[in-house]
Amino acid sequence: MAKLTIPAQELMYGGHAACPGCGPALAMRLLLKGLGPRTLVSIPACCWTVIATPYPTTALKVAVLDNAIESTGASISGLRAAADALGLDKVNIVGFAGDGGTADIGLQALSGMLERRTDAIYVMYDNEAYMNTGIQRSGATPWGAWTTTTPVAGDLRGKPEPKKDVMGIVLAHRPAYAATLNPAFPEDFNQKVEKARDIVGPRFFHIFTPCPPGWKFDSAQTIALGRLATDTGVFPLYEVVEGRLRITRKTGQLKPVAEYLSAQGRFRHLTPDDVTLIQAQVRSDWERLQKREREDLSLAH
Amino acid sequence: MIEIRFHGRGGQGAVVASELLAQAAFLDGKQPQSFPFFGVERRGAPVTAYCRVDDRPVGLRTSITAPDAVVVLDPGLLATEPVADGLKPNGILLVNSPRPPQALIAPAGVRRASVDATRIALAHNLGTPMLPIVNTAVLGALARATGVVSLEGLTRAVGQFVPARPEENRLAARDGYLGVTVLPGDASAPAPPPRARPPPLVLPEGPIASVSSETLHTAAWRTFTPVIHLDRCTKCNFCWKFCPDDAIEFDAKGYPQIRLAYCKGCGICAAECPPKTIEMVAEA
Repeated sequence: MAKLTIPAQELMYGGHAACPGCGPALAMRLLLKGLGPRTLVSIPACCWTVIATPYPTTALKVAVLDNAIESTGASISGLRAAADALGLDKVNIVGFAGDGGTADIGLQALSGMLERRTDAIYVMYDNEAYMNTGIQRSGATPWGAWTTTTPVAGDLRGKPEPKKDVMGIVLAHRPAYAATLNPAFPEDFNQKVEKARDIVGPRFFHIFTPCPPGWKFDSAQTIALGRLATDTGVFPLYEVVEGRLRITRKTGQLKPVAEYLSAQGRFRHLTPDDVTLIQAQVRSDWERLQKREREDLSLAH
Repeated sequence: MIEIRFHGRGGQGAVVASELLAQAAFLDGKQPQSFPFFGVERRGAPVTAYCRVDDRPVGLRTSITAPDAVVVLDPGLLATEPVADGLKPNGILLVNSPRPPQALIAPAGVRRASVDATRIALAHNLGTPMLPIVNTAVLGALARATGVVSLEGLTRAVGQFVPARPEENRLAARDGYLGVTVLPGDASAPAPPPRARPPPLVLPEGPIASVSSETLHTAAWRTFTPVIHLDRCTKCNFCWKFCPDDAIEFDAKGYPQIRLAYCKGCGICAAECPPKTIEMVAEA
């Protein structure tokens, strides 16, 4: 076997109930490779609760706690308290929630967990809508995207509101570690997981997880679309360690955002003016991110 | 009362077909009922839906175990799903297939019918070759084969309830109506061979599930299978790295091989393979 660039261990089984080409399924597989077997995962109502546990089976080789959609943050605070009380040493406590269960329904529990300084990793896997219930818009759905509750018909042109900046909310809590991860870049993904694993305190991952049925693209293109999201600047890769931001994938010249948008049916109705608007927003966000990196660098030590 | 069971794959429109049939029956003045089986609603996964049609309100709320008609939207399901289970002796088995109904295996007495709904759907630009939307063509065939609804009722239902491409769907229903082939029942037909059923799962005791999901095979979800041409494989492991189904393992020489019981045929490995050694081949 050629040298592997990510850990060989598999802590996710086949036979799970994810759709073909599922981004969240790959995200879980890569996450557990980096964390290892001494891991407890708390999963709220989301795609993954269905993926992991068609009765009476489990798709994970680590322990899974099934919890309610608003409670992921609280549940991992509780799991950490229980692990401490039992004297369990070196165990990773992980909450693995969708964007709806994080940006909308579980936001206060996430805030509570971060503010309590719970020693745990909270993962938001972001497929940008309530996909398990059939593609309803969430706070993390981007502007202009079609969903079943932001239809395209007559005057209706997809979601009229912009995507919620969950990372901004998380960073306001001064977490020990926070990062954006993308399964299309497995080595970068794994480095961040292994780094966060060895940090004590509240940690947060925002993972970009394309959804073929919900975003309307061919299931073979999940990785290609993930790469495009980062290389166009729609989903930049960075990490924030003790408040200092570092961009982990530098793209000299961003690709036009139209390449990313035109690859998905959910953006098919966008006009050239819409695309120009999105391009301007992505560019200014990217410049703001680079500016913050420069400033944080000048502050360092 | 006429009871009809639909078998399809997630994304193919089996649930919508059942609802549309109910709408058509309603427009014919009947009292229909339609609901899906609540299961794994994933693209490609086997899906079941039920429809009852009667002259009086239907009080029954159970799933259909002894159908008068079974409709199969994807012939690939014949090999993996017990579609004909419980079919009444004089019932009808309607399959979307380019092959004549003589090729179908059905219980004694069951009338066999087939319609090439995939060809009809693609001729009317409904769906893609990977995922043709065959439901209106199949419903046209069902209307002819069973008389459960009139073509007129079906046409009106398509016009009222199909938001996308109503005209193309109307034409597909008509072509399905005209294109179906039905064989009379053959009471002396040999019984179909008994189907091998998976052994029953042994449930663990205690509160922690410990049955691996690998006891569930997802091969039936697949419409295309990856085939690796190892002569050009560079052992780069990209296929393994990006597989969301943990369906790639390595042989003793370090070459990748597909775990076919778990591969759902998403095509990521073929798309990401740098030397393009993986080919997606349509399932027979």
